[in-house]
Amino acid sequence: MKLRILVADDHELVRRGLCTLLQAHEDWEICGEAVDGREAVEKAKQLKPDVIILDVGMPNLNGLDATRQLCRQNAHYKVIVLTITDTDQVIREALDAGARGFVLKSDAARDLVAAVEALQRNRMFFTPRVNDMVLAGFLDKGQNASASVVPELPKLTPREREVVQLIAEGKSSKEVASLLNLSTKTAETHRSNIMRKLGLHSIRDLVVYAIKNNIIQVQLPVGAETRPQSPIV
Amino acid sequence: MTVRILVADDHPIVRHGLKTLLVGDPTWEVIAEAEDGVEAVEKACRLHPDLIILDVTMPRMNGLEACRRIRKSVPECEVLIVTQHDSPQMMREALDAGARGYVVKSNAARDLLAAVAAVSQHKTFTILDHRAASKV
Repeated sequence: MKLRILVADDHELVRRGLCTLLQAHEDWEICGEAVDGREAVEKAKQLKPDVIILDVGMPNLNGLDATRQLCRQNAHYKVIVLTITDTDQVIREALDAGARGFVLKSDAARDLVAAVEALQRNRMFFTPRVNDMVLAGFLDKGQNASASVVPELPKLTPREREVVQLIAEGKSSKEVASLLNLSTKTAETHRSNIMRKLGLHSIRDLVVYAIKNNIIQVQLPVGAETRPQSPIV
Repeated sequence: MTVRILVADDHPIVRHGLKTLLVGDPTWEVIAEAEDGVEAVEKACRLHPDLIILDVTMPRMNGLEACRRIRKSVPECEVLIVTQHDSPQMMREALDAGARGYVVKSNAARDLLAAVAAVSQHKTFTILDHRAASKV
């Protein structure tokens, strides 16, 4: 039986590239495509894919929050996160969310094939930098097991994170309510709870929070990038 | 006559997607790929393609600078910019740099074939998302 793969990226160009690449493998088939995290979660419920490949920077629901929802829905989902950035925070969040593979868009196409093959064999796949980070984190944890615990910022619920993304993308409470199948009043309550929890006072503050916490990604002007790979596809 | 095309983008999966779209016309041939602006300029000077598809945001040298250099060194080679920047300002900069066409990546599946057809015939092709399209 063929391995069934669901591919989610907001760029059709990237989905085309992914599909062509993966379909070249005779034992694999693309069972579905999604244009954002929300559609990926819905299609995964219907299609029950073996492997799900998720871009991080997608509208409506980003790939990290989609991974959280998917892995909570079904712990057996094998998710590969595809990203343009390998900052420590994104890697950590992807692992915490339940991703079992992590591939950079700037990595060679063969890395993605290797990642799918690894997950097919119930193994994990990370790029070398991620492997180093996981190992360093493991060693660090061992050394600092008795160290004092750093107080954490108030945590948002998955639903609140969804609302943060939609507001940061410029959607009104009414639009948020419609997208999440809530009443406008409930959407507004979520919004005020979020502002209170995070100690924020304006939408501008909320957008900054969303960017800093990888809930949305921004398009940098040409020449502004400092990382070795480009910020957005 | 075959249109010889060089595809330059730093993301292999995007290059894969572009090549998949270009298969749509048998008279087009992707003769080489480049993963940054420096490699694009070097390959353009060496291979003299008829058309180059250039991403803007690339490491080492961005697509606009590569476009300027290619147009100067290989003036017969047309440049089509394919970028995520859905901005009139960026489009103007691309045309000023010598590009003949401009396509936004989110529309590439819709616009790329028409853009390559136009630009390979030395016609301008520029379309931005949600804005009036202009084809000359």
